[in-house]
Amino acid sequence: MSGPRWKKAKDGKDFSALAAASPMSSIVAELQSSLKRSRPVATISSHGEDAILGVSPHQAILLNQAAFGRFVENAGGEKQWFQLGAEEVFYLCHALKCVVVELESGKQMSEGELWDHLCSASESFPEMYKAYSHLRSKNWVVRSGLQYGTDFIAYRHHPALVHSEFAVVVVPEGAELGGRCGRLKVWSDLLCALRASGSVAKTLLVLTISSSICELGSPDCLEQLFVHERTITRWIAQQCREQRCEPCRVEPSKEEEGHTRETVVLNYWGVILGFTVLSTLLVYKLRF
Amino acid sequence: MIIDQPSQDSLQESQLSSCGNVASRARWVEDAGEAEVLDSKGKLWLTTGVTRGGKLYYNVEEIGFLAERGALVLLDDEDETIGLEEIYKKIAGGNYGCSWDAFQAYKHLKVLGYIVGRYGVPWTVKHSGTCEVTDSPKSMADTERCSDRANGACNDITKFLKQMHIDGIYPSFEVHLPNSKFKKSCPGVPTFLLCLLRDKPPSRDELETVENKFEGIPLKFCQFDNGRISFLSFDNVTLPSLP
Repeated sequence: MSGPRWKKAKDGKDFSALAAASPMSSIVAELQSSLKRSRPVATISSHGEDAILGVSPHQAILLNQAAFGRFVENAGGEKQWFQLGAEEVFYLCHALKCVVVELESGKQMSEGELWDHLCSASESFPEMYKAYSHLRSKNWVVRSGLQYGTDFIAYRHHPALVHSEFAVVVVPEGAELGGRCGRLKVWSDLLCALRASGSVAKTLLVLTISSSICELGSPDCLEQLFVHERTITRWIAQQCREQRCEPCRVEPSKEEEGHTRETVVLNYWGVILGFTVLSTLLVYKLRF
Repeated sequence: MIIDQPSQDSLQESQLSSCGNVASRARWVEDAGEAEVLDSKGKLWLTTGVTRGGKLYYNVEEIGFLAERGALVLLDDEDETIGLEEIYKKIAGGNYGCSWDAFQAYKHLKVLGYIVGRYGVPWTVKHSGTCEVTDSPKSMADTERCSDRANGACNDITKFLKQMHIDGIYPSFEVHLPNSKFKKSCPGVPTFLLCLLRDKPPSRDELETVENKFEGIPLKFCQFDNGRISFLSFDNVTLPSLP
């Protein structure tokens, strides 16, 4: 596997040192403890998967740094609003236990009720969440990969500091999951995923989620799901090496990536400043 | 088939040019399913064919590759030339241990200078019938094959036909990087083993089964699409836990 591609600061140095000074595990731990103290409530849409969460400005910085959710622009006010995806809201609720979720009606949901709600909104939620939490628990940053034709993309740290390394495709198998219309069962699908990930310079990572149980009715089933990791890479005989991109005659499309970059770049410097402040604070805390 | 420019140090290029446009000759032996080389021009034999009891033999894919390049003339029992069309039929028929797809893969790598041999077939065997200890990967069939050395390629064919009925994936070729110092008497461990894939991508079970059989040697997989070959790796990885 090739190593991480760190982005560069204005002075030309890359961000690996900054990332090393602020490990993702510390950021997530600080986010978790801050949210636990205030017990914020996320409102989930009745028939959908997305949830909206209101937090304090300091918590908003932490959510941004841990790369959870999408900041919702608003005119101002005490609270900052974030839109969370299905896997994100369940991770904050079930894994980190720092957010409470309720319906529009105000009715608070238990973890089991939230699981049912998300499973009925999306049939593939169990395996998608297992893959998401598997990567998050290893402190990888996980975002949606749909714009690249995959399920997720995984970053070694915040997207402002590093390019994502992996385009992740989730493949279900086993008693309960195997009946689903899974990915990568035909060559056209596999080679399409390989080409799509290669054209944006990411390695295709396949997470196969296997289950030997038949019961997916509660989050307890997560312990019975197993994640198998495998990369698919193209080998170029002419150059005697692995390559993420196909040796194609067509220029890879940079339009997609450019657009994403533009919309997020305004937030990047805010995040980087935030990291610099955070790492200084961490050093301050360690010394005194 | 798309073939990019061969690598600069392509061994085949130098070996073929050293032939000086004079082709080697080999006689087809139907019972053995391969050709016995009568006279060998140039240095091709250093990385092509197997040596048994002091004689050099080419299998069908080697014959096809060399004949296409004008480096080999294949003769029948009556010393009549067997043309390329007949050679292609032998390959496409699949009765001599090689399929048309396997031939495409073999050729693609040979043109680029890689050293390619059929998986599990020793590069050289001594005349006495005792099996020379080679560095080819261990397999249960090795000892069995040694005692049947006299039957030449036929055992390879039997094994190949058996493989076609084996569930799962099995290597077709062992591949070494281009190497001017390659010796058949001591080939070393292959750089990778090449498995040919069929009409659909391999399942997790199939991959794990073949990986467990050939622990330690990298596996590459080959997929065909109308003459275009893709070489793929399906590596079992463990993503690190980050700080």
